[in-house]
Amino acid sequence: MIRDLKRVRNIGISAHIDSGKTTLTERILFYTDRIHKINEVRGKDGTGAVMDSMELEKERGITIASAATHCEWDNYGVNIIDTPGHVDFTVEVERSLRVLDGAVLILCSVSGVQSQSITVDQQMKRYKVPCIAFVNKCDRSGANPAKVAQQLKDKLGHNAVMMQMPIGLEDKHEGVVDLVSMKAYYFEGANGETMVEKDIPSDMVDAAQDAREVMIDEVSLFSEELTDAILEESDITEELIRTAVRAGTISREMTPVFMGSAYKNKAVQPLLNAVVSYLPSPLDIENEAIDLDNNDESVFLESDFEKPTVALAFKLEDGQYGQLTYIRVYQGSINKGDTMINSRDGKKLKVGRLIRMHSNQMEDVESIPAGHIGAIFGVDCASGDTFVSPDVNYSMIAMNVMEPVISLSITPKDNKAQINMSKALNRFTKEDPTFKTYVDHETGDTIIQGMGELHLEVYVERMKREYKAEVETGQPRVAYRETITQKAPFNYTHKKQTGGAGQFGRVAGFVEPTEEEFEFVNKITGGRIPTQYIPACEKGFASCMAKGPKLEFPVTGIKVTIDDGAYHAVDSSEMAFQAAARGAFLEAYGKAKPVIMEPIMKVVIEGPNEFQGACMGLINQRRGIIQGSQEEGTMSVIEAQVPLSDMFGFSTVLRSGTQGKAQFTMEFSTYKQVPQSVAEEIAKQKAEEKTAQNK
Amino acid sequence: MLKKDLILRSPAEKALGLKNITDGRFGAVLSRAGVGKTRFLVQIALTQLLSDEKTLHISLDDSMEKINLRYDDAYTNLIDSIGYVDPQKAVRLWETVKHNKVGISYTEATFDVEKIRDYLKSFKKADLALPTILVIDGLNFDSDLSQILTDLNQINEEFGIFIWLSMQSHREESLTQEGFPVQLASHKTHIDKAIFLVPVENKIEAIVLKDGDRTNQAFVLNPATMMLEQ
Repeated sequence: MIRDLKRVRNIGISAHIDSGKTTLTERILFYTDRIHKINEVRGKDGTGAVMDSMELEKERGITIASAATHCEWDNYGVNIIDTPGHVDFTVEVERSLRVLDGAVLILCSVSGVQSQSITVDQQMKRYKVPCIAFVNKCDRSGANPAKVAQQLKDKLGHNAVMMQMPIGLEDKHEGVVDLVSMKAYYFEGANGETMVEKDIPSDMVDAAQDAREVMIDEVSLFSEELTDAILEESDITEELIRTAVRAGTISREMTPVFMGSAYKNKAVQPLLNAVVSYLPSPLDIENEAIDLDNNDESVFLESDFEKPTVALAFKLEDGQYGQLTYIRVYQGSINKGDTMINSRDGKKLKVGRLIRMHSNQMEDVESIPAGHIGAIFGVDCASGDTFVSPDVNYSMIAMNVMEPVISLSITPKDNKAQINMSKALNRFTKEDPTFKTYVDHETGDTIIQGMGELHLEVYVERMKREYKAEVETGQPRVAYRETITQKAPFNYTHKKQTGGAGQFGRVAGFVEPTEEEFEFVNKITGGRIPTQYIPACEKGFASCMAKGPKLEFPVTGIKVTIDDGAYHAVDSSEMAFQAAARGAFLEAYGKAKPVIMEPIMKVVIEGPNEFQGACMGLINQRRGIIQGSQEEGTMSVIEAQVPLSDMFGFSTVLRSGTQGKAQFTMEFSTYKQVPQSVAEEIAKQKAEEKTAQNK
Repeated sequence: MLKKDLILRSPAEKALGLKNITDGRFGAVLSRAGVGKTRFLVQIALTQLLSDEKTLHISLDDSMEKINLRYDDAYTNLIDSIGYVDPQKAVRLWETVKHNKVGISYTEATFDVEKIRDYLKSFKKADLALPTILVIDGLNFDSDLSQILTDLNQINEEFGIFIWLSMQSHREESLTQEGFPVQLASHKTHIDKAIFLVPVENKIEAIVLKDGDRTNQAFVLNPATMMLEQ
């Protein structure tokens, strides 16, 4: 393990699906001598690339879960997290970005900046991750890295600076000219493993000289020494340029652009050189934690091996040897045999096996020091937990995890599937904080909740493939609620005095709307209802809240006040008063103008300016209320409130309405009364469901 | 009831008359920088919100957040001008009507009438009521806006929306013979309603320059609240 943190890089590789990130990672691992044979994604031998460790990923040719891997290049330790590119798996991307110090943004040289590039870029901005760009697929027909660099500027607002020039494009792509060293690089050998340095081809010298001047001009903004050297017309050394590029990149003020073709084994090694030269080391990044013993004050963590340990569990996987917890150590170090505390629940845990991952192959290590990424075996925890030494009580600032917005019922096809399904759900909920599950006691259905339709779909498929759990899925559902809108009195007598033990209880009072979920006020005087029966009354009213009389949705926002009643010395009982309260509730409820409430989501759409009108139109068509819109550089942000029921399928509509260039996030905002027409529609649906259930 | 009271208190209603606010094509609020054009425009828009109509407020200077804050402030000033109003009632009313306002923040470079058209079209497509007024705050009338005004005129014709603009005048420029700032004079054929805010000692005088029935009348406003001085 490299202990000089200046020589450590924790990087992510982020990009759009199919822009070649898995292929690039594969090449990086090959050139850094971690694997001995290159597997193509969807390769002919069916092996699949090393980073795609899940079967589903192999089949779809996309990367769903991040896999952390370690490699070494030029005496630097590089930890790589391969991140998924699809919007519905953003929690994976965001988790990776949380623990990374820098990233390589891959762009396709033909299709350029695509919608997911925009998504990923915004996430990088949110976590302030410095990045370098790699324009891949320069061997493809229509490749144009200069156009892509321009798109980086125009569409993503990056200060993109070309650091290389391609030597030939499309099928004539042979290598690159490095504008810093002013040398041409070619890649020879069966897998391009031999990087050969040559002079710049004579027909490219002038263009390269011009491009170098542009580059130096841009880069000089980040170094006074370089500016001085230019002004004094003294020698501009490679070192001067590299220092300036590094400063600009780390401060996120510039994005150096590299290019090549991972598939054709061109220019991956120069990219690796750029990773170690320009992306930050753990020492360049400030990390904060919250001191739970000191009013949640922020504390800066230092990459000091001797200080108390603070580590973040950013990913869980359930493997054949038990739970594998990926961690990033921010301070101190985790050693085999150490006792750590999970600061979320205060539980102690003993560090057993420590490993460093190479995709799905593991390598045992004795210690994971600050600044490094590794994994622990056999620790029971959830994703996002912080592990600390017993002498501190810190928590890493919570990751930006959103509440699930969509639910789906799943029914196992047979008994065996039932058992496997529970195992799968148990694992998925631990792995992914945005995936939740519960059992609906009314229908007995298992409900899964997540961030989007595709998010749930992939879990359903994973259940099938990894756990052999065949399930049938229902329609996505919205959590409606009922409430009352006006005060209404009740005076109800529950009386059953015909043979056997009698039942008698009378409760009177009123119900009224309230901001609280449920309130119960006892204003009984003179012992009209004996004190021992008051809790039974409350219980009776409270029991009605679970299922509203109108459409059987949970009831909220009701304040019940009882101010009168009657009892019978022999026939009154707790049961009788519970029944009386239930009767009273029903009596008052109808008079209190009950209404259906629906969840309203705060929706934020971010997309290129040219689609602002279109996006606002989409909100208008979905009963949404636009709260405002703002243009930030080349992007527009639209904030709106939209009923959740109208958001189903929105990602598809948004993608098609904006050529896939806009993305949205949504979070629960409030419950609001549904308009009459919608309430009628819900009532109709509910009646149909009931009829179907009774059949 | 509260809505009606508030509308009657509005400086925009007092100076222009509720009917005049939406009667025509273009209206302009003129003043030197920092006198209160935007705050007066917001009061104009508030009369529509309180009439349960929609408004679209576009600013080339303010962020979306700032636009929202301006409306909150303007509403508070209006409420305070009544004297005592049940605070809960006031908040409830604001919660109901404020959703009828959409604030959009552009920069001068990204302002594009076509985007507004796209947005308004979507109302028609979704069969929704259109905003009654469009407030555009921050256009630079010292530059050539003829194309923008022509395009906005089409918006007015196509969607029947009255467009209220802010126009910045300058201290060093003298008024025309009609008493118009030059910015208004050069666009007077377009502008049907105009109100000129002039600081006089420590008050603001709102002079109606063009209107259906109150032309040349002047009203004194409190510079802190933009409410009419008693």
